[in-house]
Amino acid sequence: MPNSYDVVIIGAGTGGYVAAIRCAQLGKKVAVVEKQKALGGTCLIWGCIPTKALLEHAHALKVIRDAKEWGVTLPPATPAIDMHQVQSRKDRIVTGLTKGVEFLFKKNKIDWIKGTARLAGKGKVDIVEGDKQTLEATEIVIATGSSARSVPGIEIDHTRIITSDEAIGLKEVPKTLVILGSGAVGVEFASIYRRFGTEVTIIELLPRLVPIEDEAISAELEKSFKKQGIKSLTGTKVTKAAAGANGVDIEAQTPDGKTQKLTADLLLVAAGRGPVTTGLGVEQAGITMEKGYIKVDDLYRTSVPNVSAIGDVITLGSGVHPQLAHVSSAEGIVVAERIAGQDVAPINYDHVPSCTYCDPEIGSVGLTEGEAREKGYDVRVGSFPFGVLGRAKMAGEGEGFVKIVADKKYDEILGVHMIGPRSTELVAEAVLALRLECTVEELIRTIHAHPTFSEAVGEAAHATHGAAIHL
Amino acid sequence: MPTPVVMPQMGESIAEGTIVRWIKKVGDQVERDEPLFEISTDKVDAEIPSPAAGVLTDIKVREGETVGVNTVVAEIGQANEVRGAGPAAAGASRSGPAGTAGPAPVKQQADGQSTPAPTPADKAASSIAPEQPSGNGRRRSSPLVRRIAKDHNVDIAQISGSGIGGRVTKHDILGYLEEGRLKPAPTTGAPTTAAPATTAPTTIAPTTIAPTTTTPTTARAPQVVRPAGGDRVEKMSVMRKKIAEHMTLSHRTSAHVYSVFHVNFSTVEKLRQEKKAEYEQRGAKLTYMAFIARALVGALRRHPVINASIDGENVIYRNDINLGIAVALDDGLIVPVVKNADEKNLLGLSRAIADIAERARSKRLNPDEVHGGTFTITNPGQFGAQFGMPIINQPQVAILGVGTIEKRPVIVNDAIGIRTMAYLTLGYDHRLVDGAVADQFMADVKEQLECFDANDC
Repeated sequence: MPNSYDVVIIGAGTGGYVAAIRCAQLGKKVAVVEKQKALGGTCLIWGCIPTKALLEHAHALKVIRDAKEWGVTLPPATPAIDMHQVQSRKDRIVTGLTKGVEFLFKKNKIDWIKGTARLAGKGKVDIVEGDKQTLEATEIVIATGSSARSVPGIEIDHTRIITSDEAIGLKEVPKTLVILGSGAVGVEFASIYRRFGTEVTIIELLPRLVPIEDEAISAELEKSFKKQGIKSLTGTKVTKAAAGANGVDIEAQTPDGKTQKLTADLLLVAAGRGPVTTGLGVEQAGITMEKGYIKVDDLYRTSVPNVSAIGDVITLGSGVHPQLAHVSSAEGIVVAERIAGQDVAPINYDHVPSCTYCDPEIGSVGLTEGEAREKGYDVRVGSFPFGVLGRAKMAGEGEGFVKIVADKKYDEILGVHMIGPRSTELVAEAVLALRLECTVEELIRTIHAHPTFSEAVGEAAHATHGAAIHL
Repeated sequence: MPTPVVMPQMGESIAEGTIVRWIKKVGDQVERDEPLFEISTDKVDAEIPSPAAGVLTDIKVREGETVGVNTVVAEIGQANEVRGAGPAAAGASRSGPAGTAGPAPVKQQADGQSTPAPTPADKAASSIAPEQPSGNGRRRSSPLVRRIAKDHNVDIAQISGSGIGGRVTKHDILGYLEEGRLKPAPTTGAPTTAAPATTAPTTIAPTTIAPTTTTPTTARAPQVVRPAGGDRVEKMSVMRKKIAEHMTLSHRTSAHVYSVFHVNFSTVEKLRQEKKAEYEQRGAKLTYMAFIARALVGALRRHPVINASIDGENVIYRNDINLGIAVALDDGLIVPVVKNADEKNLLGLSRAIADIAERARSKRLNPDEVHGGTFTITNPGQFGAQFGMPIINQPQVAILGVGTIEKRPVIVNDAIGIRTMAYLTLGYDHRLVDGAVADQFMADVKEQLECFDANDC
């Protein structure tokens, strides 16, 4: 039967397409239903890839502006950004990567069913738009992901009041931009558009920027943003936002209870993302939901047999389920191997790295100092500034530090938090250290090459045990 | 197809074992390698892990019974295979207070019915997979796990790993430690409410038991002791019975003679204070016991007759020096052995002694670790005894008792000085060892300790 599959996966984002490839590698006949014009989902088309492409443009501009420092002679004109070129380069990268996923599908003989899926009872998926048909599946995996959501009282018009979906495609650099929310999305766009020349103000409801990070990271970022001219209004609540022909009028309540009025060309709402299940028919299928998310067990089984779910659309019932591309793909692999009958272990969400590509970059894994104390550990911390390193001086990037949070009793590394150059890359060592249950002592004995940024990790380990060598 | 659970072979010379306690009840869900029952042999007590995952469907050998090695003692199968229980009962046993389902076989015995003897077929089936406890094989772990293991003196090989490739994770070792803490003390664990019934056919049973069950099987009992009102009657633990047997046997076998030496420990004490911190850094506690063991191994090498056994009309001079260390437990004592003790330096001995002592107390010794001792040290001094008169651990021919080590006034160059002193007692078997030989050996030990070589630390 042409429409019959071992596994039908709904959604071709990082979770779905990775699950599909892994299923195919394990000998399953797989179809993936995707309604968008390209494969790759939020990460490739709307999120990680386009924003990081823009950030590289911002970084290039930063280097060029410092041309004098680098001894590079430029024509007298002031370096400026050409948004047309920026967008077309970014689009090229995105298209290249989505084509790459298409190629992987062909290579693994995975069928891409173009259309919108709807669960149609046991082992059946209806394609209600696009290539209308009914698919039969032994196993169904829902990987429909998430979309940007607003906050009550603010209506997104996608022109003046926008989400990240629009922010990645701006044809011109706005003069003023207010960003609501200082999570990863908020601070990344703040970094991008500030470099491009925009007056940026971030409004955060909680008392500090990047509130899920270690407090020391938040403080360092706020300091750096201030230097770069990004305004941060923390502990501040947006009460009103009205879009007009020339911009957005915003009212916010500051921590002292006063109302502050702001106007901006654009208001970017970066207040989190909600699950996408519209039209999927989850309720009719009898799948247990929790606050709009699909409830799954630790091996991603929903309440309905032979229906699994992974990625941004799920909740594990307890704790916060991180909406990150690398989490979705890890879940995709677990679900595929489980379906193929392999012995799989649940993912340890304490060991999920978090990378924020603002400038300076943030990379972190494990418990923050605050969380560790709350959990009752006998905590000791150590940190080391990048600025001391030769490598950082050469690169002209001396901001930030590496901070280690450890348990005194057994010398266990509980968390590693870094802000500064290459932090999103350097965090990989820390993730492995946590995964392998490393002690600080082991990290000290691990030889870090010289001259590299990674020396800061080794030195932070030294600092945790008393004193860094080069400080 | 149910998996048979057999009485494991706990050592080469062990032919039978006694089931002390069933940790799981019929109907209980068990994981592979989860402790299923506790056994006691004449060498060692151990928890036996389940050979398979499933439901404990049948218990064939009850608590307190002794059966031969490889006898099928239970079966692991599916929930619907629970012996003597319909599907409904199987379902019920999964929910909370399944206590009522458990004691069923015990009641049966109280009614006077006998156990179904294992059939030859059972034995044949069981011999396929004799369950061995995990040996001293290396286990994958992590730096953190090794650190925790070191702090708690835990042998990682004893812990089953849940990580990739059986790797022992932090979760595993913390769970293991937690389990150890929660395990009831052996003395309180043994006598269940059903116990008095099962202990019925003994001569010292309380008179309240129905007369039919007190039919005396008195052949072995030297005399009848009756409890008076208010007395408490408890069945001896298996370990207690074995100790009783061994001690009387030894007393009957060997011609015990004792020599007591007064030994100056001042040099040892000085070295111990000097090296303590260094040893601690290397993760070992430097104790007097390690010094004494170190002195002994040299002397035993030079006096092979002390490190020997009598076999009928032959004398076996042992090539290996395997030191037994008597460890007092809440409910008895056990003598784990430091093998090839002469091949270890002071640090190695410190570590080895601490390790086996700790594991003896937490009941985590491997069966082979209580075998093959050639000489034993016991330490009544730790409780304040000036000196002890220990009974030889058969088939050895000598035992060293260490008295309390304390500062005492002694005569030094015609003046009274204060020195760290202790009495060491050698108990020896005069059938083989004469007084002169024993005293020469002890003089050797004394000299080793009093002039302990600093380079040997």
